[in-house]
Amino acid sequence: MTSMLTRQSHHNDRVGGDGSLAIETRSLVHSFGELNAVDGVSLSVPRGSLFGLLGPDGAGKSTLIRMLATVLAPSDGDAFVFGHSITHGQNAIKPRIGYMSQAFSLYPDLTVRENLDFFAELRGTPRKEMDTRAQRFLEFSGLTEFASRQAQHLSGGMKQKLALAVTLMHEPDLLLLDEPTTGVDPVARREFWRIIAGLHREGITVLVATPYMDEAERCTEVAFLDNGKILLHDTPLDLKQRVCEQTGTKRVSMEEAFAQVISEARSGEARA
Amino acid sequence: MRSALRRIIAVTHKEFIHIRRDPRMLASVLVMPVIQLLLFSYAISFDVTDVPTVILDQDRTTASREYLASFEHSDFFRVVDHIESDVEADRAFDTSSAKVAVIIRPGFADSIAEGNKADVAVLIDGSEPNSAQLGRAYAVALSSTEDRQILVSWAESQGLDVTSMGSLSPQIRTWYNPDRRSADFLIPGLMVVIIMIVTIQQTAVSLVKERDQGTFEQLTVSPIRRAELMVGKVLPWLILAFIETAVIVAVGVLFFGVPLRGSVLALALGSVLFVFSSLAIGLLISARSSSVEVANMAGLLISFLPGFMLSGFAFALESIPPALQFISYLFPGRYMVVIARSVFLKGADVATVLPQLAALLVYAVVSLTLASLAYSRRL
Repeated sequence: MTSMLTRQSHHNDRVGGDGSLAIETRSLVHSFGELNAVDGVSLSVPRGSLFGLLGPDGAGKSTLIRMLATVLAPSDGDAFVFGHSITHGQNAIKPRIGYMSQAFSLYPDLTVRENLDFFAELRGTPRKEMDTRAQRFLEFSGLTEFASRQAQHLSGGMKQKLALAVTLMHEPDLLLLDEPTTGVDPVARREFWRIIAGLHREGITVLVATPYMDEAERCTEVAFLDNGKILLHDTPLDLKQRVCEQTGTKRVSMEEAFAQVISEARSGEARA
Repeated sequence: MRSALRRIIAVTHKEFIHIRRDPRMLASVLVMPVIQLLLFSYAISFDVTDVPTVILDQDRTTASREYLASFEHSDFFRVVDHIESDVEADRAFDTSSAKVAVIIRPGFADSIAEGNKADVAVLIDGSEPNSAQLGRAYAVALSSTEDRQILVSWAESQGLDVTSMGSLSPQIRTWYNPDRRSADFLIPGLMVVIIMIVTIQQTAVSLVKERDQGTFEQLTVSPIRRAELMVGKVLPWLILAFIETAVIVAVGVLFFGVPLRGSVLALALGSVLFVFSSLAIGLLISARSSSVEVANMAGLLISFLPGFMLSGFAFALESIPPALQFISYLFPGRYMVVIARSVFLKGADVATVLPQLAALLVYAVVSLTLASLAYSRRL
């Protein structure tokens, strides 16, 4: 995927934001009526990172990701994806991102290969590369032998892998994954993360939303979203170290570290 | 431009796969029209009022005027014009401005005065079976011996001396559809109704379904434009609607023996405009519906009610309340029914059905514009 890396260098037509960042949000707000689902989020996601967006259900993870995918317009604030604003630079953003929504969003009556081909066609994937790419992504998501099976007859894990493969056909520089492992069995979950790690190694920036604390361990950076606000943004290692020093324990699990920091942050907010 | 075309083709290709894999959709596209064809080929008669009528009085006497006045006062006939010659009657039929022509030849009053049979010619446009049937029944009642009472009391009310009057003998000729075979008038109309139902219903759910499945967000992150998506989604139905039109025409002509007397070009032009108008209605429903169920219901309601009831296919539009008549102008069916029947039965060419073609053209342009506006806003 070296072609992808060289492609990035051609995309230096920045209109705002920091060029070393894949994503930069500035006081981003989205409200549904009275409720601020995303409430003034300012967040930076460096290029090449595997960024975990954690938080309970209803924290605003999906809303944040959908705004970054230019599917949802912000109510206030702005965000930049590779320097392009999500409010007026959507057309520059779309070709460079792959977005996987929380719900399965492929055609159930189309086969695996037809789904891949359809979205690749829409994305303008070069004709002569269609076959090689499809074969490569089917191969590495383990779907090769199911290529002619209708999507509705796939297992939950396979569906998610297909959805991921579909977002990869146009070779995006940034993947936005909204709870890709929710409702997937543990074996398939581990498999899915192996694939994500592989993509990350190839240089793709990945932002993945998840409610599972243990998945944070696999990320290079994590942020915790609660009630539409970012409670913390750190590397997993620093986070654990901080908690160890605070509590005087030698080792702490990712989940414990989160529990500690979040309860602190929440009570701090309650006092304020 | 080339990439836009590629995206449109991709969407169209995908839509065809959906159609192929959905047995219910296939059935509604392929089987339903056949069932409807069979079902409705058994004619039902409907009551008619306000049949547009022209009058030609060549006798110009008190007796002829009084006889014709009864048409003017009747609920069944609505006299729209007093004409001067037979040629004008022909023209009135051609433009569908009249369904019945009553003609009184010179010597009408003299015959009555002499106590002889007086001849009245009643011409009926047979391509409108309901009107034809009624006009015929009404006129026959005048002459038949069993219904002599009707003739007598009617004549008395006109202050004529029945005993000295002799009898009226209307001579009835049904033009254009002399055998008045039900298939001949039903199938051209049915073609319109079937196309309307299929196209409106299928396009009505197309967009809502994408939203329901969540595939819509995937489309949104791709570079496809709203207009491209709309064209791509409509294209399969455009193609299918044309195939279906051709099949119904072929079945009608070859199997039911419906005559195709007029210009095929006029029929084709009308069909193109009509299909576009129907598709636009479907798209409008799709853009405005919140769920597949709502879209389905709205599609069903709109395609069946105005398409079926207010197109002139089932009920002659002269016999429905003015408010409904007004509504019927808001749907493309009524124009196309006139075109189809005129072409099939009257041998109409493009010039004859020009008003209807023009109406459909305006309809197609306006509705497609509205649909694309609604489509782009909703996405």
